[in-house]
Amino acid sequence: MTATHISHRSKFLAEGNVYLPHIAVIDKIIDETYDTKTFHLNFKDDKLRGEFTFNSGQFALFSVFGIGEAPFVISSSPTRSDHLEITVRRVGRLTNALHRLGVGAEVGFRGPYGNGFPLDLLNGKNLVFVGGGIGLTPLRSLIWNVVDNRDKYGNIDIIYGARSPADLCLKYDLEAWNEDETVNMVTTVDKGDEDWAGRVGFVPAVLEQVAPSAINAVAIVCGPPIMIRFTFPVLGKLGFSPEQILTTLEKRMKCGIGKCGRCNIGNIYVCRDGPVFSYAQIKDFISSEY
Amino acid sequence: MTSKGKINKQDVAKLLSEWGKEFTVFVPSQDAGVATWARWDGKDTSFLEWYRNTIVPPKAIFLPPVEEMFSFKKDKASYQIELPASDEKTPLIFGIRPCDAKALAIIDMTFKDVYEDPYYLSKRNNTILIGLGCTNPYDSCFCTSLYDGPSDVSDVDLMLTDIGDEFLVEEVTEKGKELMAKTSLAEEATEADEVRAKEAKEAAYNKVTRQLDTKDIEEKLLANFDDKDYWEKVAAKCISCGVCTFLCPTCYCFDINDELIRNQGGRLRSWDSCAFPLYTKMPMENPRLEKWRRVRQKVCHKYGFYPMNFDIIACTGCGRCIRLCPVNWDITQALASLPVRAQA
Repeated sequence: MTATHISHRSKFLAEGNVYLPHIAVIDKIIDETYDTKTFHLNFKDDKLRGEFTFNSGQFALFSVFGIGEAPFVISSSPTRSDHLEITVRRVGRLTNALHRLGVGAEVGFRGPYGNGFPLDLLNGKNLVFVGGGIGLTPLRSLIWNVVDNRDKYGNIDIIYGARSPADLCLKYDLEAWNEDETVNMVTTVDKGDEDWAGRVGFVPAVLEQVAPSAINAVAIVCGPPIMIRFTFPVLGKLGFSPEQILTTLEKRMKCGIGKCGRCNIGNIYVCRDGPVFSYAQIKDFISSEY
Repeated sequence: MTSKGKINKQDVAKLLSEWGKEFTVFVPSQDAGVATWARWDGKDTSFLEWYRNTIVPPKAIFLPPVEEMFSFKKDKASYQIELPASDEKTPLIFGIRPCDAKALAIIDMTFKDVYEDPYYLSKRNNTILIGLGCTNPYDSCFCTSLYDGPSDVSDVDLMLTDIGDEFLVEEVTEKGKELMAKTSLAEEATEADEVRAKEAKEAAYNKVTRQLDTKDIEEKLLANFDDKDYWEKVAAKCISCGVCTFLCPTCYCFDINDELIRNQGGRLRSWDSCAFPLYTKMPMENPRLEKWRRVRQKVCHKYGFYPMNFDIIACTGCGRCIRLCPVNWDITQALASLPVRAQA
């Protein structure tokens, strides 16, 4: 893979400078869990608001001025484009600062960056979404995208799990997909509590029980690295070839555009060449540092 | 055949003054005992006496150790963003060594890749490089293993060679030719001058005795990528100080951070290094927490990944990482001790 093959490039640079952020305003904040919030954002610039487009699975660099920048996947779907959403777990300095902001606050935005999911490849396929914890957020953009274009796709299975019922994100989406008769929604938790009447079990084990068919199917996996590592072999057992498995990787990033250096896995830059890769690509990586 | 002239060393100050009208002239300079690059002060040419190579490579002119990308001001609830003023004159670097000129050409590739980096390229585009061939390389230099060595002209506009009281000047590019046409300080070089230059170049080439076998280096590295024992051995004495990366002319990794005092602040870009565990640290995990992984990253980036992405080794054999390392870590030794394996 050489640099010149990259076709996805943000068309929305502020003053032609890839590092200059646009200003976006927080319109709404939803408390997802004890440590996770979803932010609804809108560009301050009306023209950009009208023109902005992205692919499901693309990310952007969001900043709290004075604190810094961090990459988050856009968790809303381009099919519902009146605003952007990001779902953010409070884990570090920048995410803590974001969590302290209220409605009306301004944040910086630059992007969208990365490749996103290959919709052409998914067209006409049965889709199996496998998500864990906050890893639902990139899947969520794609799930709404395919649900909003339902006739283009075959069966849709969603297997989503979290450590505990209190860690389940985007419960309103889980409910909506559960009520959608064209979607097979399976929710599980590693460990239940007294109110939990649903499934208990790790995501890879539940995936094996649900056993979606690999025929004409693509599996899209996102979650903590440990979940991903245990999910690949299960998908293999179910008959999915490495080409039929997609995932989106996460790395520390500063620039988001393949220059600052740190998000590499061998010669691959997750920001520039990904973040969406097939398992076939990942298996060919020189390095297993993912 | 490039046309050749010569410049008397006594006239260097006059020449730099002429060029200074059109360009921002950078020359080797001492900053608290550290040889670096600085804007020429308009008179001092004492660097001609002491300059072998700088400790701080010329990448610092285009990618400064710390640089403000923009400033911002909070007015009520709104932010105003302002770009810094830029230098309108094009930089001219006087005396750049061939290794460091090549290093700029190498990192240009990253800063032009997919998205143009406006901060680096606005300074770097159209920059004039006046090369000065090495006549006194260090014993840590190994440039001849990577390209034509201490007199290589491929990345400069003019190449000067020390022939005693004068510099022989080779006009390499059109820009270089124009510069020489404009000045009245140049004289035509004689045959004897050219012979002296040729002898100086040959002597310099032969002074570079350190060798690195770069044949199939990319394949050899990748074949040993998962050999943890080898990497642990290679990394054993490294203290992760980052000097070899900060002072490497082809290392370009950077960090971006904000500063804020009351309602005013800025976004700053600063040098960063793969030697540091924080460089890749995420809240929940760190893919390169172990030192051997970081050393492996550094070596493989230069001799494996960069060639894979840009078809060129990201090392020019300038030797800084060897002579400036506090624990005498030596990349040529590390690579020479790569286990030989049957290719898969």
